[in-house]
Amino acid sequence: MRSVFYLLDSAPYGSEKAFGLLNAAATSLGEMEVTVKLCGDGAYLALGDQDSKGLGVPNLAEILRAYREMRVIAHEPSLLNRGIFFEGLVETVELVDEESFLEAMEGSDCLILI
Amino acid sequence: MKTLTIILADGPYISEYAHIAFKIADAALKRYHVNIFLYLDAVHIPRLGQNPAFFADEGELFKDLAERGAVIRACSRCAAARGYIGKEDGTSQDYPDGIKITSLYDLPEMISGSDRVIALCR
Repeated sequence: MRSVFYLLDSAPYGSEKAFGLLNAAATSLGEMEVTVKLCGDGAYLALGDQDSKGLGVPNLAEILRAYREMRVIAHEPSLLNRGIFFEGLVETVELVDEESFLEAMEGSDCLILI
Repeated sequence: MKTLTIILADGPYISEYAHIAFKIADAALKRYHVNIFLYLDAVHIPRLGQNPAFFADEGELFKDLAERGAVIRACSRCAAARGYIGKEDGTSQDYPDGIKITSLYDLPEMISGSDRVIALCR
């Protein structure tokens, strides 16, 4: 397989899922084409001004910034449904509608939901 | 022979995914080379000495898969966080023979070498 699509629908904090997904995606870089898609509560990961110091866990927005070669797409309707507008997002995040999401998913050899 | 990789991220019993993965791998071993990658809470699945009162012992089932040729690997970071320590060769006193604690980098290697990938995670 040459490309992998990681789908995150859980909030970035409160469980290990988002951190685990980003780590798994990062290890695939260089070996495969990697796309991370944020939808549902996963859309909160697109916010640029995260501050996780009080939680004692890594700042996941900084992880996105550290891996600029990782394609990260965020589902626009998920952002809007949560009152998140398009300013102040992590700079590397692309916004996609349903159609672009489907295209990105169809173009990947496998889909991994963690 | 084609290769199937199954990715798990949930522990045993909290969901049926470990058992579903066992059943898929059990059937697939007749036609596929089977890899199983244990991530996050799934590193609990093969632990020795489980004694569930009302369910099949998932550790024993995964031991059986490993004995029949399935390659089963657990993420070392996830395992260490949960108290399972792998030796240099990946074996662990907490796991059956044949199931190893290795690097997360085994995951992309498994995926890239697979014809099919199934992720079973809540």
